[in-house]
Amino acid sequence: MKTRPNKTHHKSAGESQVSELLILPDGQILVHNLTPAFAGLLHELNPDAEQIASRVTRHPSA
Amino acid sequence: MNCTESAKQGRIAVGRPAIARERARIAQTMLADCRFCAHDCGVNRLAGETGLCHAGAEAHFFCAQTEVSDELELIPTFAVALSGCDLRCDFCITGASSWNPRAGTGFNAQAMAAKANAALLHGAQTIMVLGGEPTIHLPAALEFVSLLPETAKLIWKTNAHGTAQARDLLDGMFDVWLADFKFGNDDCAQRLAKTADYVRVVEENLLWANEHSELIVRHLLMPGHVDCCWQPVAEWLAGNLPGVKVNLRSGFWPAWQAARHLELCRGISTDESDRAVRLASKFDLNLIP
Repeated sequence: MKTRPNKTHHKSAGESQVSELLILPDGQILVHNLTPAFAGLLHELNPDAEQIASRVTRHPSA
Repeated sequence: MNCTESAKQGRIAVGRPAIARERARIAQTMLADCRFCAHDCGVNRLAGETGLCHAGAEAHFFCAQTEVSDELELIPTFAVALSGCDLRCDFCITGASSWNPRAGTGFNAQAMAAKANAALLHGAQTIMVLGGEPTIHLPAALEFVSLLPETAKLIWKTNAHGTAQARDLLDGMFDVWLADFKFGNDDCAQRLAKTADYVRVVEENLLWANEHSELIVRHLLMPGHVDCCWQPVAEWLAGNLPGVKVNLRSGFWPAWQAARHLELCRGISTDESDRAVRLASKFDLNLIP
């Protein structure tokens, strides 16, 4: 299993933000340090994923 | 220090910023004979000596951002991760920064408080101090608290391996203790985190935290450790902290040096996850998402 995480960097208000993503062989996706921006992106990709939907903040600027 | 001001859920010390400032000063002097964690090293960190955590007198941080991956009732949270830890968990997801207290950037409490205040203004509901393990950086953590609004909801994310001395300094400072109970027996703790007497220390901290603040207990399911670790943890929580909020996390990520242990080279199986939830149900645990 490849364990090296893919890091995604988002720029917001001049600050670097980092979320880490790991895709397991069975297709399961694990996320570490989930930021609101990255949660929003994952939610757009799969609106049916309840675990992400519950974390899409109602405070989009947070 | 007056520890009677604090209390559970809403019993945060009146005048918390001022008390935190004074305790930060006391904590700084205690670095001369550091006994913040249960390793009880007694080294003089002010003189450059280091104990098992290798931390000096200055704190560093490796991440500070608003996140939504913690318990639903706590998010969005502005999470500040201090570098360094007193445990040596081979599977640590932030191992490089947690095992190196000089990783990241020097911690400036005033600058970080400004960021935290900005995050609150932009919708963060809480501020979380974590690591690594923040207990080893009590002076910096308390100074940070002293600069935050008294009304802010503060979360202490900890491995629950601190001493009574550390707890006295923390009393009334954080609204919620978000505490790990990682291992259900001392053999697994020794083998996977190089830590002795783990279970007794963590149980002592959890009992204290439940009396002095709101407590959420986290258990990260580890592959191959449902019976030896989760079951005894669940049973102890049921018997000693009935009704306490428990977050059972199944997203084990075989990170850092997990490959040193054959059973940790994979994620949690569906069977393990299902069995763990059944155990929680059997012990009537109060699981939260």
